[in-house]
Amino acid sequence: MSNLLFEIGCEELPASACREAQEQLSELLRGAIGGDAAIRVFVGPRRLAALVEGLPERTADEWVKGPPEHLRERAAASFAARHGVSVDSLEVRDGFLGVVVPGARLADVLPERLAEVVDRLAFSKTMRWNGGTLRFSRPVRWLCAKLDAATVEVPLEGVPSGGTSQGHRFVAGEVEIAAAIEYLDALRSAQVEPDQDARRAAIVRGLDAAGEWRDPSGVLEEVIHLVEWPVVLTGSYDERFLELPAVVIETVMQSHQRYFPLGAGAFAFVANGGDPETVVAGNEAVLAGRLDDASFSYVRDVEKGIETMAEELTSITFHARAGTFADKAERLAALCEDLGGGEASRAAARLAKADQASTMVHELPELEGVMGGVYARLAGVPEAVAAAIEEQYLPDSAGGRLPESPAGRVLAAAEKVDNLTVAFALGERPTGSRDPYGLRRAAIGLCRLAVEAGLEIELGRLVEHGRRLLLDQGAEVTDDPADVRDFVLERLEGILEVPVECVRAARAGAVRDLGGIAALAETLAAERESESFARAYAAFDRAARLAGRSGEAAEAFDPKLTTDEAEIALAETLTAAGPRIQAALDGRDFDAALAAAGELGPPVDRFFDEVLVMAEDGAVRANRLRLLLDVRDAVGALGDLGRIPR
Amino acid sequence: MGAPLNYQDMLAALERYWAGYGCAIMQPYHTEVGAGTFNPATFLRCLGPKPWKAAYVEPSIRPSDGRYGENPYRFQQFWQYQVVLKPAPDDVLDVYLRSLEALGIELARHDVRLVEDDWEGPTLGAWGLGWEVWIDGLEVTQFTYFQQLGGLDVDLVTAEITYGTERLAMYLQGKRNAFELEWAPGVTWGDVFRENERQFSAYDFDKADVGLLTRRFEEHERECGRLLEAALPLPAYDDVLKCSHAFNLLDARGAISVTERAAYIARVRNLARRVALAYLEQQAPGADAGSEHMAA
Repeated sequence: MSNLLFEIGCEELPASACREAQEQLSELLRGAIGGDAAIRVFVGPRRLAALVEGLPERTADEWVKGPPEHLRERAAASFAARHGVSVDSLEVRDGFLGVVVPGARLADVLPERLAEVVDRLAFSKTMRWNGGTLRFSRPVRWLCAKLDAATVEVPLEGVPSGGTSQGHRFVAGEVEIAAAIEYLDALRSAQVEPDQDARRAAIVRGLDAAGEWRDPSGVLEEVIHLVEWPVVLTGSYDERFLELPAVVIETVMQSHQRYFPLGAGAFAFVANGGDPETVVAGNEAVLAGRLDDASFSYVRDVEKGIETMAEELTSITFHARAGTFADKAERLAALCEDLGGGEASRAAARLAKADQASTMVHELPELEGVMGGVYARLAGVPEAVAAAIEEQYLPDSAGGRLPESPAGRVLAAAEKVDNLTVAFALGERPTGSRDPYGLRRAAIGLCRLAVEAGLEIELGRLVEHGRRLLLDQGAEVTDDPADVRDFVLERLEGILEVPVECVRAARAGAVRDLGGIAALAETLAAERESESFARAYAAFDRAARLAGRSGEAAEAFDPKLTTDEAEIALAETLTAAGPRIQAALDGRDFDAALAAAGELGPPVDRFFDEVLVMAEDGAVRANRLRLLLDVRDAVGALGDLGRIPR
Repeated sequence: MGAPLNYQDMLAALERYWAGYGCAIMQPYHTEVGAGTFNPATFLRCLGPKPWKAAYVEPSIRPSDGRYGENPYRFQQFWQYQVVLKPAPDDVLDVYLRSLEALGIELARHDVRLVEDDWEGPTLGAWGLGWEVWIDGLEVTQFTYFQQLGGLDVDLVTAEITYGTERLAMYLQGKRNAFELEWAPGVTWGDVFRENERQFSAYDFDKADVGLLTRRFEEHERECGRLLEAALPLPAYDDVLKCSHAFNLLDARGAISVTERAAYIARVRNLARRVALAYLEQQAPGADAGSEHMAA
């Protein structure tokens, strides 16, 4: 058995590229060498590597399937010729002719196949340098490949290949890799830790030793790929900066510098080496400078005050064709009211965008909303209003936290409805991977506000309201944004843990608000094996199949035209069950609605057994078709049950 | 590190280093630019298949970054040290890092980091991938491998190395305030530029004549088109720069709405693209006018 090391040496890769490579490398290598040997993948800023242990000397024999045996006379000769063997040597397996292509010596095929691995690694963002046609996340500068102690020369245009790696950029030079299995030890003695998990563990250990560290923006996963030899250091900053809101200090630390806040006045960070005293002093000076800059902005903003900022919104454009932020605030207030929000949400809507006129948000855009909350509190605005301003952009990621204050939930929903309506009304729907306004995230946020926070969100009505507000303000509306509803409901399919067909069925029912549709979908999914469901489904399905496509149905059902007992029985059951289905739906008691719908199952079955729908008398026929359509619609208030696979 | 270099010695050390590497040492361009990338020694010379190595100081004028001389880190005029190596040599990072050593920075004693930073210049239709270079947490350089200029894929990939000289000097001199930097013995950066910052901020934010600037933009835009028709891409490019500066002033003055902003940027980008195409056409083998026009 042999061991293989393959290392792709790069100029400093972004953390995202490291992660992309980590996901692909093992599979690409498996494809290159076959078999089931253990593959360990190492990724970091200057190298992507894999260590494969327990490789056979030869690649496995491969069975190439040819034509079916009964076509031997017609096809065997050409198949055999194509593979360079005689017809006699073809084997038969499972009724097919075929040929066994013997495996090759691994050492013979590795160079080409490893070069292909480099070529096939895909990154979301790539560049050219001057190394030929290869595109990569950053320039590839060396390749190092060892099959046990033998060096494998990998032919890749413009990139040197051998048995040498590189140590830490500043304290170690070239590193001879004597044998594949010695790779990790050799690099560790050159101050490089290739294993991302070992780096993560070392960093967490260092941070734990430094104190109560926090990572609110989640920079740890990036920092792991910013260093090859992590050294956790701590620094401090002047107490006078504690006048700044803690969130400002933390954002400056994390977003600009990738530091980890410790207690007041202290921070930890991860260096890649250097003299600790020098490195700490340098970082402390940088942070002090950044905090000075932030203080400069903060003091200016506080002097101005949130009311003055709100007045300035009339001259700040929100969207080229949808007016200023003042216009946006006006729309938000109206939508908050439509969402059933109280005084606090409407007051918050008026001030929600004021921080767009602040220097701080101009400098640190990720603090929008948060600074509005800070400035609102400084101005003595009621806490419910300030909290709503602060929470308006939540949830800010698919799994992010939801607003906690009632007014915050309403404002957050209004904000998302408005963003969706504006984009759709102005012909800027997201397409493919293009979603510059984060509308998919907004749609998921709306679903979660409805499902998890229990907010009643009736999209059809809200979007139409939003469209009228835009028109009243003189916006250049070009499209009908009604399809926002479908766009959001498609996201609902992704976040509910029920078969998508159940969501699609529920969407077609009479329930209009997002949370109701979600709960209905969950009921349909949970009950789809139940007796009630089977009966309701049968009633819906049989009625819809026969009457659904017929254009002959009467305008309205006329009891006087009934003749058969089964027909009368069905009509009576419908008269009793129909209103109960509707009442149960209105009361969000979906189990009861399903039970009531199920009552229609047996009479529908009997009706089909005993009654000839297509009666010769046209009026009778039309009346029977109408009865069936009424059954379909009554049950169909629960959704398009026909979509649910059984 | 020995006695720290003052500002002018630091610039001289960079000039010496890059001259020693084989760069043509250029001078700042005569027209206002927002960054060294706009100097024709970068934007035009990095188009086409001819190799080119150059280095120069560039005063970078960004009206909306002015703070009336009251903020120690923000200025409407600062100084970049710009290096372009076309094509980028394989050891370009080592070559760059040695320039830091030439300034007296012992790399092994510091935490030097290359942090992902993808650059985009929308008015020039330009983008590239690269890094911010950090020393002990301070960003001192932007390093970019150009991929497109004027909306066109580059023939040879240039490495653009842009030092932020004030930051670098603050680091070398251990100063927390740019105005306190020693420019020359007995002269501070503030002595030279603080009043300049105050007056130009007042001009940029409060006094610039919007009507005049709007007309100027339009006139230079027209002139650029006229010169392109006359097959004179080099003077036409100066009009691109003048349009860009007029736009920056209007933007700082608050005279441009967000809608107009995107439209202005698109107009400048369109001019830059047409100039790039005209320039390349003249560079093509067999074209009458060649690079000798650039030599002035």
